Amino acid sequence: MIRLALISSAETAEAYGSISTRLHRAAWAAYAPVDSGGSGKALGQVTEATSASALIAGQADAFDAVVIDADQAAAQRLVKEASASGKPVLAGATGGSLAALGQADTLLMPAHPWRFLPSVQSVKRSLDDNKLGQAGLLRIHRWLPPGEGVGVLADRILPDADLACWLFGSAPETVWSLQSAANPEYIQFHLGFANDGMAMIDVAASLPSGGDYFSLTMIGGTGAAYADDHHNMNLLFSGGQPNAIRASLGRADLVGQLQEFVDAISEQRAPSVTVADTTRAASVVDQVLESAKSRQVIGGKEVS
Amino acid sequence: MEETKTFRAGVLSVVKHCYLPRAVAAHPRFELVVVTDDADQPDWVHVRNQNFADEFGIPYVRDVAKAIAEYDLDMAAVSPEAERHCDLAVRAADAGLHVIADKPMSTRLSECDRLVEAVRRNNVKFLLWNRNYLPAVIQAKEAIGSGAIGELQAIHVDFYFSKDAGPPKGSRAEVDSPIDWLQRQMEAHADGSDGGVGSEAMGELQIEGIYPLGYVHLLTDQNVQRVFARTATHFHQANVDNNVDDLATVSLELCGGIIGSLCIGRIGAASHPDIGEIKIHVIGAKGGLVISEARPEVSIYYRDQPPLEFKNERIANENDFLLMDDFARALDTGSEPILNAQAGRDIAATVFAAVESGKTGQLVEVIC
Repeated sequence: MIRLALISSAETAEAYGSISTRLHRAAWAAYAPVDSGGSGKALGQVTEATSASALIAGQADAFDAVVIDADQAAAQRLVKEASASGKPVLAGATGGSLAALGQADTLLMPAHPWRFLPSVQSVKRSLDDNKLGQAGLLRIHRWLPPGEGVGVLADRILPDADLACWLFGSAPETVWSLQSAANPEYIQFHLGFANDGMAMIDVAASLPSGGDYFSLTMIGGTGAAYADDHHNMNLLFSGGQPNAIRASLGRADLVGQLQEFVDAISEQRAPSVTVADTTRAASVVDQVLESAKSRQVIGGKEVS
Repeated sequence: MEETKTFRAGVLSVVKHCYLPRAVAAHPRFELVVVTDDADQPDWVHVRNQNFADEFGIPYVRDVAKAIAEYDLDMAAVSPEAERHCDLAVRAADAGLHVIADKPMSTRLSECDRLVEAVRRNNVKFLLWNRNYLPAVIQAKEAIGSGAIGELQAIHVDFYFSKDAGPPKGSRAEVDSPIDWLQRQMEAHADGSDGGVGSEAMGELQIEGIYPLGYVHLLTDQNVQRVFARTATHFHQANVDNNVDDLATVSLELCGGIIGSLCIGRIGAASHPDIGEIKIHVIGAKGGLVISEARPEVSIYYRDQPPLEFKNERIANENDFLLMDDFARALDTGSEPILNAQAGRDIAATVFAAVESGKTGQLVEVIC
């Protein structure tokens, strides 16, 4: 049984606490808040430290691996500290500079929860099982309401850049992007991959407050997969036109990601998400932003 | 009861699916009176024209000028191979006839320009066939027009037709000859997948691009200024052999600061249970809109259902009737049809720019 420590906000601890009974070969053993006043009560009876540093430095015997969910600056510092202690780390929001963090001999799994969404897992599985043939076109529409959760533009589009690289199995050869002059919270990017693969992605953080929207289509040579919120809407009647309510995916993404982390430790193998994946996605994000700024195709063919 | 004129229509060639002249015939304001084509056309063209004429009990005249002169026509329904669309339409316009023409407008932008000029010069009405009166598209137009999502900022159309287009990519043995485009299209007539009929091979962007770009035009009322595209032959051997796309992604920069995209493909019958996945996504200053072009539809499943029969059947689709209604209104009142010659030409210019961008990997300005 692997003893896990969580360093996070109380809210995140609630989310992880709610999935604790679904974990195999692991259990929560320790908690430290990233900010003052956080509580790990939701995780059950665990060792609680007053701060993350105190947990890593003073109570390392209480856990075998650590999960860090913090803002980028704090996450980078904590990953360094945790890795130095030799503990495997699952860390979110670390940005693209992960390669400089951690220890070469310590397991460091960047959190890419978007890969573990049941809908995305299903699409990936159908590709891996060769049901769809060669990946041809990835289309993503992702719209969010503004708010604290959406982060800065670079962080916001990193999941989609990562999904594109992951599903095509490589970094793009060309990058072209457009931003709306009227809406700084909107960007679309157009990626070209080897073997005529292509991705067209639009991300907006300008919806009215309320629900978000995600649609992912993968078209392959012999089949296609559609993961579309539009398709998964139910109806709520409360006067006037009915409201669309999305069928919930629950927190299967957190369960899947955490179990992969645990399994990688147990099986003494590299996790399915690596630092190189995050670095690659971050590099694509840089190119997307550069293209939007320079109004040039990055990596395109030479002008003849 | 107010008396309204019934417009006499001549069918100037009918070699494709023939939905266009059928729509003309089905509308009470129009009457098909003759089918005509040039005498020097190949036999298969004459056979199709004759079959259509026989079905409707009207004569087939192998002389376009003669038919126009002798049958007192008000309008022409033009539906030949794509490369002849503009030529027949120009000749009809020059004879003073109003014109409805099938898509694509042409295989050459210069021909589109020639048609725009002929329509202007002769002061006739022109309608390029489109899908802008599908119920869901009308709903999108109304939602945007109501101001519900505020000023339009971005628009995206996903347009994947699932019809097959002959043998799959990679299926041709080395010893076999490349697939002849026209031959393949003629064979495809039986199952209605001959949208690209003609001697000149066309990719999916050229054959079907008018439809999604018609939505963009309708919903934004703006022209595309610049495109960046990637194109590929991903599915069908006929497209590989003739070096034309069957999958494409196009980034669009429109006038008025609107940006958008088009993803289009002939993705194969295995990739969708119905005719295809077709969606419109719109971002406005106050919200967003997601429209499934297929809706409303009814799902029908039954024992021994043929595998290729669509499980979801579109209903309440009055697109053809409403297009003809729109054209009748244009003839009655002098208003412009929903997709006139200039708009059709501008969409064709976007398509040609996208094809060029796909080949060069460069941004391409649209010639407006």
